[in-house]
Amino acid sequence: MSEWLQQAIARADSIQDGFEDQRASSLALLKDIQWPTRKTEAWKYTPLRAVERSTAIFKEESPELEPVAVEGLEFLELTFVDGQLVSLPEELPEGLTIEMQESSLFATIKPERHVFGLVNDVLAADVAVVTVAEGVAIEQLLRINNLLSNGAQGHIRVVVDIKAGASLKVVENAEGQGASLTTAYTEYQIGAEANLEHYRFALQAGDNVAIGGSHFKLLEKASLNSSIIGFGSNLQRIDTDIIHAGEKADAKLNAIYLLDGTELFDLHANVEHAVPNCTTEENVRGIAGDSSRAVFNGRIHIHRDAQKTLAELNNRNLLMSNKAEINTKPELEIYADDVRCAHGATIAEIDRKALYYLQTRGVSRSQAQLMLSFGFINELIDQMPTAELAEWVRPIIRDRFAQMEVK
Amino acid sequence: MSNENTLLSIKDLHASVEEKNILKGLNLDIKPGEVHAIMGPNGAGKSTTGYVLSGRDGYEVDSGSVTLDGKDLLEMEVEERACAGLFLAFQYPVEIPGVSNLEFLKVAVDAQRQARGEEALTSAEFLKMAKEACKQVNLPVSFLKRGVNEGFSGGEKKRNEIMQMILLKPKLCILDETDSGLDIDAMQVVANGVNSQRDSERSFIVVTHYQRLLDYIKPDFVHVLADGKIVKSGDASLAKELEEQGYSWLQTEPTEDELED
Repeated sequence: MSEWLQQAIARADSIQDGFEDQRASSLALLKDIQWPTRKTEAWKYTPLRAVERSTAIFKEESPELEPVAVEGLEFLELTFVDGQLVSLPEELPEGLTIEMQESSLFATIKPERHVFGLVNDVLAADVAVVTVAEGVAIEQLLRINNLLSNGAQGHIRVVVDIKAGASLKVVENAEGQGASLTTAYTEYQIGAEANLEHYRFALQAGDNVAIGGSHFKLLEKASLNSSIIGFGSNLQRIDTDIIHAGEKADAKLNAIYLLDGTELFDLHANVEHAVPNCTTEENVRGIAGDSSRAVFNGRIHIHRDAQKTLAELNNRNLLMSNKAEINTKPELEIYADDVRCAHGATIAEIDRKALYYLQTRGVSRSQAQLMLSFGFINELIDQMPTAELAEWVRPIIRDRFAQMEVK
Repeated sequence: MSNENTLLSIKDLHASVEEKNILKGLNLDIKPGEVHAIMGPNGAGKSTTGYVLSGRDGYEVDSGSVTLDGKDLLEMEVEERACAGLFLAFQYPVEIPGVSNLEFLKVAVDAQRQARGEEALTSAEFLKMAKEACKQVNLPVSFLKRGVNEGFSGGEKKRNEIMQMILLKPKLCILDETDSGLDIDAMQVVANGVNSQRDSERSFIVVTHYQRLLDYIKPDFVHVLADGKIVKSGDASLAKELEEQGYSWLQTEPTEDELED
């Protein structure tokens, strides 16, 4: 067991609050766990050295930090700084509540197998529980900000309960400065005929270590539209689980990663089709430059009873450099016999001849790069339902890509 | 020899590809309005000359100098050379599916106009110009909507190159074996396109293995390139001579690997 995990456990033993029962069982699991190594399948390409060597500390006092502004949008802000909840919206729309109290959903949607999820169970100081009352549609976007100051460690947890027929839009926004370390987990239950529009932005390249997950349980006829967009960092790992627990539920997941330098980004997406007649569409696209490393593991598990499932998983990658690395593994596990499923993964290299050809006509290298290869990323940005978010993130992604060197 | 009137000046140029010397002391001066033909056997460095001048990755200049309009060409990025007035018509134009010919041409023309401090053209103005250029090289206007060179025949690709040249209005055009793979009719179309662009300012380097293109594009000078340098220069009659005698009289060393793309 690593020293880092021992310290985490020691700290957890000292935390007391309303979630003790659930924390206690996670703590017991954690005390017994094998620290992941390169031999652990879920961490095969993502070494944990950055965690083991992290010097990030729990700060007694944190600076005031503000989340990034997005033109044209005013969010309901739920802001954590260095793991502490520092601000809640002053007024909430009718039907939306945010409380710091026990939730029976805590640690029930996020699967136990996520080691850092267990760490988060025991270390997240302020667990926020967001509830949307039955049949209520919340138009304004709720943004969960996980802000970390330089060198800080923080663990945040939010549980979201969208009751039957309700709808909610949530943005998870991580901004970690310097050599910070965070775990950030969210659990969503999407009730019958309810829907969730979800975004997870991890646009925090640099020395930080960020590990976390977004986990969704869909009840009957629920729908989820999720977009995950990340840069790499010292270590950036996101796990997402989509659990179809009620019939005729529909999930769409789009993910984009864009890596440069020596960054590491790892996305593990797991979809469980436990019941019949549900659909999943998953599009994951990434670009790796310089000597960065991207990891994508996409598993779709179709249980014996999940007849008439429709599931598609597609992963497309572009390598910008001979030293960049992409490890992709789509997995379909199908135990039902009447389903339609497809999966595929491709890795392409930037077309150097085409770049040269465009440049000989006067087109700058960065623009040529965009013309040739930004389309497949832009397509997913175009699909983001909230146009203001697409317009905000598009230039950030585009500029980062345009500045990448072909090596 | 080089003076204010020289458009392109190549001095003792040595260049290599994958550490193999290809150009071994190339000298060439071109004045505005002149057409120079470079002929020579396979492997002499004809295509390499075009790639080195345009700045292609992997084509290393070991020594020597090249100036265009008095400016150091070798210091410039590929796109800067284009904006400075250099145009290379490829022997094998690249297919780029997913980028329309029209979009590509507009971006290229915009970039060059911007580099020269000229105002951007409106889409309507540009479309009109592009359609006219298509007509000049006998390319159906529908080709503007297709992916760049995507599924074009050999002749259509060459005509597409000349159309780009017409739109970009370069100072120096390098035509790299533009005649290869063309029948007489297609060659005539290409030659007419080139001739329509000849004027007292614009210069051409016509790289070719055969003399026949030079029946249509009349050169002012003909140079024979062998083993990386010019071994003989003359007027248009030199091309006729070569046609009759072939290249065997050059007594080149055993042929090197064909390194030209």
